[in-house]
Amino acid sequence: MTAITASRQAQKSRFELNAAKTLETAALLLIIAFILLPIMWLAITAIKPQEKAYSTTLIFTPTLENFDIIFSDDSVIINEGTDRERGEVGRNMFPSVINSVVVSGATILIAIPLATLAAYAFSRYQFLGNGILLIWILTTQFIPAIVVAIPFFTLFRTVVILDRPLLGTQLGLIIVNMSIVLPYAIWMIKGFVDALPDEIEEAAFVDGCNDFQILFYISLPLIRPGVLVASVFAFIMSWNEFLFALIIGREMRTMQVALMTTSGARGIMWEQMAAAGLVVMIPIFFLAMFIRKNVVDGLTMGAVK
Amino acid sequence: MRKKRWVPWVLVGPALLIIVLTTIYPLVAALYFSFHKYRLRKPPQFAISIGEGGISIDWSLLTLDNYALAFSDSRFINSLQVTFWFTVISVALSVIMGLFIAVVVQKGGRLHTLTKVLLIFPFAVSPALKGYSWRFMLNENYGIYDLLIDQLIVGPVNAVLSLVNLLPIIEIPLISESIVWLGDKFWALFMLAMSETWGWAPLIALMFVGALGSIDEQIFEAARIDGANRLQIFFRVTLPLLRPVILIVTMLKTIFSLKMFDQVVTMTGGGPVRATQTINYYIHQIGFVRSLDIGYASAMSYILVIVLTICAALYVSLVLNRD
Repeated sequence: MTAITASRQAQKSRFELNAAKTLETAALLLIIAFILLPIMWLAITAIKPQEKAYSTTLIFTPTLENFDIIFSDDSVIINEGTDRERGEVGRNMFPSVINSVVVSGATILIAIPLATLAAYAFSRYQFLGNGILLIWILTTQFIPAIVVAIPFFTLFRTVVILDRPLLGTQLGLIIVNMSIVLPYAIWMIKGFVDALPDEIEEAAFVDGCNDFQILFYISLPLIRPGVLVASVFAFIMSWNEFLFALIIGREMRTMQVALMTTSGARGIMWEQMAAAGLVVMIPIFFLAMFIRKNVVDGLTMGAVK
Repeated sequence: MRKKRWVPWVLVGPALLIIVLTTIYPLVAALYFSFHKYRLRKPPQFAISIGEGGISIDWSLLTLDNYALAFSDSRFINSLQVTFWFTVISVALSVIMGLFIAVVVQKGGRLHTLTKVLLIFPFAVSPALKGYSWRFMLNENYGIYDLLIDQLIVGPVNAVLSLVNLLPIIEIPLISESIVWLGDKFWALFMLAMSETWGWAPLIALMFVGALGSIDEQIFEAARIDGANRLQIFFRVTLPLLRPVILIVTMLKTIFSLKMFDQVVTMTGGGPVRATQTINYYIHQIGFVRSLDIGYASAMSYILVIVLTICAALYVSLVLNRD
């Protein structure tokens, strides 16, 4: 009697187990589809010929002509051998790629060394008000970008460098980017310095190294991987930044703002937007894979562990 | 150990100087602007002027008009409401979906691991691009989402509804298959929140996965031995243990949502009829697109600063009190 009940229970639970497993697999597939669909669809549309882009069809001959178009100087492209228009064209996006690379690159070249020194000091020294300063730096992250953009917009209209107002220049955008990148990088790098045991530094001190020798010859080489991760984060941050690029960068279009130039007389030219979108996304995609393990800490400043 | 007092200041100094210049300067300047009549079209007259006779202050140029205007401007009130509802919807969806994803992918298995790797993907898509791609996919004529929603959700639901309607009890109206998602006030705001959820739920899931990983497996084992089923384990064990992390993540996401701007520009343009005009978007419109009223834009952004300061204080105290 008990044996029968037991085997029945085993059968029932095996059935339940299978059902649960199927349900779980279904849920996983659903999650995968939810995540991948927008990215896949962007990639598919980018290689669709223009006449197929405005439909959900998956039957088409892949083409790179959309990339030709977004990197072309013409305003209308005519199909070779015919006089049929291949498409109205936004502005050539090549200068925008350069702008994005220069602005993001210069932003990290300035911010990361300064942030590294500051982070090291916050981690290793006790000095007047260091705790409060650190919290204050954390809270600057919550200042809305618009409140930074307004005064810098009015200031940069009047500040002239090399005969040009700073408004709408790469330099102007780099300066404003500091307000978000620098505090962020300090916190992030401080996390890496904190994780480093300071016995080696102590030993070097006992051996007669001064503060700066310890910093440059002992500590910096050891935290280099962390600094690299922080640089990647800072690069992604300024590459994807939109509000400053729109208000301060203006006609010096970064790629994020250049996406808007795919809007023509007939509305947004989606096949061009998709191609430009891939250009914006792919470098960040690889960088994101590189910092995969640090993303959670990076987003929450280590608050969730 | 190392005693030289000036060393840390040399190290911190340059970074601190730049942070002060790029955050404190604009905060002070915007506050100052907000008490003035200041439109871009003509040079502003400021209360404090530095002339030959030193600094002079003309009190009559200071005004509270911009703040008074904010609270009587129905469009600003509207942007507060839009931002509030956007925040509520996007935070709720992101956290709940993040929890769901985390619980599903948590265990080891090949498909689980693959999904965990994929969770990072939306992080690579910039907010501006996110807005455009969702707008494209929601297009009522050729959008892939529009097609999928009609085929997979609206179709089956309508089929069930028509069956129910066969019974002569009540007549339930069918769901329209031709909803213009971004042309409808409710759906535009909802889809804006969905695009945000697409970007954030996987990242929030990653945060929860990390937190779940640090919980002792024996706790779950004990609950299982005591005969708890999966739902009971989730609500009675997992959820209470995750509570502190959920609070922090919710607060963090709330702060991000209150600052919503990028996708509004690229996805809905604030429309239809201001239904998705968030505070940031409206400030941008006033300051840089329409009336070019810097004084008023500054005043409104200060109201946003105050709201965010409260949230930031809550967030910081949550984080600091954890350990």
